[in-house]
Amino acid sequence: MADRLFAGFLLIVTLAYAYIAWTIIQAPFQYDPLGPESWPRILAGAAVPCILYILWRPDDEPFAVAKYTWFRLALMVALLFAYAELYEPLGFIISTILFGTIVALTLGAPRSGALAFGIGMGVFGYLLCVTLMGLNLPDGEIVEAALQILQGGSE
Amino acid sequence: MDVILSGLATGFSVALDPFNLMLVLVGCFLGTLIGALPGLGPINGVAILLPIAYSLKFPPESALILLAGIYYGAEYGGRISSILLNVPGDASAVMTTLDGHPMALRGEAGRALSTSAVASFIGGTIAVVLMTLFGPLLASVAVGFSPANYVALMVFAFASLASLVGKSTVKTLLGALIGLMLATIGIDANTGVARYTFGIPDLLAGIDFLIVVVGLFGMAELLHLVEQQVKGNLKSLPVDKTFVKVADIVKLRWTILRSSLIGFVIGVLPGTGASVASAVAYGTEKRLAGPEGSKTFGTGDIRGLAAPESANNAAAGGAMVPMLTLGIPGSGTTAILLGALLMFNVQPGPLLFTQKPEIAWGLVASMYIGNVALLVINLPLVGLFARLLTIPQHYLTPLIAILAFIGIYTIVGNPHDLFLITALGVFGWFLRKLDFSLAPVILGFVLGSLFENNLRRALSISGGDWAILTEDLTSIVLYILAFLVVFAPIWLSRRARRAAAA
Repeated sequence: MADRLFAGFLLIVTLAYAYIAWTIIQAPFQYDPLGPESWPRILAGAAVPCILYILWRPDDEPFAVAKYTWFRLALMVALLFAYAELYEPLGFIISTILFGTIVALTLGAPRSGALAFGIGMGVFGYLLCVTLMGLNLPDGEIVEAALQILQGGSE
Repeated sequence: MDVILSGLATGFSVALDPFNLMLVLVGCFLGTLIGALPGLGPINGVAILLPIAYSLKFPPESALILLAGIYYGAEYGGRISSILLNVPGDASAVMTTLDGHPMALRGEAGRALSTSAVASFIGGTIAVVLMTLFGPLLASVAVGFSPANYVALMVFAFASLASLVGKSTVKTLLGALIGLMLATIGIDANTGVARYTFGIPDLLAGIDFLIVVVGLFGMAELLHLVEQQVKGNLKSLPVDKTFVKVADIVKLRWTILRSSLIGFVIGVLPGTGASVASAVAYGTEKRLAGPEGSKTFGTGDIRGLAAPESANNAAAGGAMVPMLTLGIPGSGTTAILLGALLMFNVQPGPLLFTQKPEIAWGLVASMYIGNVALLVINLPLVGLFARLLTIPQHYLTPLIAILAFIGIYTIVGNPHDLFLITALGVFGWFLRKLDFSLAPVILGFVLGSLFENNLRRALSISGGDWAILTEDLTSIVLYILAFLVVFAPIWLSRRARRAAAA
């Protein structure tokens, strides 16, 4: 069943891909026998029979994921999106401390361990990457603003 | 022979440079660590660390030496979790659990670990020696390849991929096609026409290779870990004082030699890597052991441990051969290494050995050093790695995400890509869940433009006549090989079934 659904989804995508290859992609002029549209057409032509085969004969293995596991996966994806969203505004240190601690907690780490892990990753990760390896990580808009206020205050 | 010797001299002068030597050691150490962690295999390890290695701005040969060290280090370390935990690090270590874990249960964990370390070392070394001998030879043949020959070679590569990798031929093929289709996104280099960019400027240069790799392998693996989350702590068996005896190795010499050769050949075949090699080597040894062997194999037979271990390390070396000489990776992980070379603007192919000897030969020489280093690191330090096995999943999982984010952000510097790798991770998790293997996708993605450009060039030469594809002998031989690699296994299994029925 899951196989059929996924194959159906791929079929739609592939047909859209083929439609674009046959109608939209065109070179204004070309000397070569094969233009930019030929290769996508060949690929779509090869993919459609494969998809039809899966629709015709899907694997009958059930797509076994427990309800609770779905919840855990959805939570993880949500946390990842939140981490990505806050990466620049909060900066590497704060966002990583939050992400590391929360993920470790939700996956069942003890409280003190999760907090130590989060802070360790955030602070030492930043020091290791930025000072030692010279990588470019976000300082964070909030942190920069706070630093400016602090510096402004001391002047 | 002169070419090989002078090449090796160049290579060792690169690899013995103190900085590069350090990178070999660091790579081997990190690799063993990654391989030893249950659930993380070579391909995920290389995928997660590739962007970081790239952003350190090393010269290409140094970065490649580091990544290759991680690759065969991880291939080496996979056995530790297989033997002590009965949890394979990745597909290529599955066979090691069959006899390795029973040995550990019997109180011979030390003997199992040290025997497999020596078997891996011999397998890896045989592969590097064969690579030194045949690599330049293959390269000199491939220099004369025409675009039409390359098209035939690609067909052969995808045929052997479809036939040997994964559970379902159709799914593997479809996975490769998905990769090829993803590779068509962006500006067409020949005509300047934008394809499938939907007016989004970020897509004009195509989807970044790093994003695909980190998303499909790093993030999908992370979701897989979350799904499989092991409840409670895994119990690792203690490493005891038993150790490999010289007599063991002498007794195993033919097993190791045979398995190394099998591993190397399967590794060289495009697309098929260590997991196929270890399975074939294990099966062969079991069959050769006869009726007496079918009783002891699977209950802690030392031959059943040495065979897959020497084969998977030999395959890791073998997979480098087509990657360096033809520009066609021999496995999923070497596909990532190939992508890494392309990011450094180095085009692997038949000319690599002559035009960039410091890269090709430097890598070969670093593999000699790496093999020795791995043996030296692994025999005494195995207890340390064994202790790392018990790193709980709830710290490992966020660590993967943090590393992936650091890697992508430092290179691309664009927070949108962080969303993209997460989305690709979800897609990759679905593919995996539905029994698609991910290696064909990345192989298709890496080979996409090479395949297309050669096809277009071939047809430009012939003025649009498709007959050029089957005109010369090299192409025809390759098509026959492609046909055999797909249909011979089907035919053999039918014959075996008929023999069993009769």
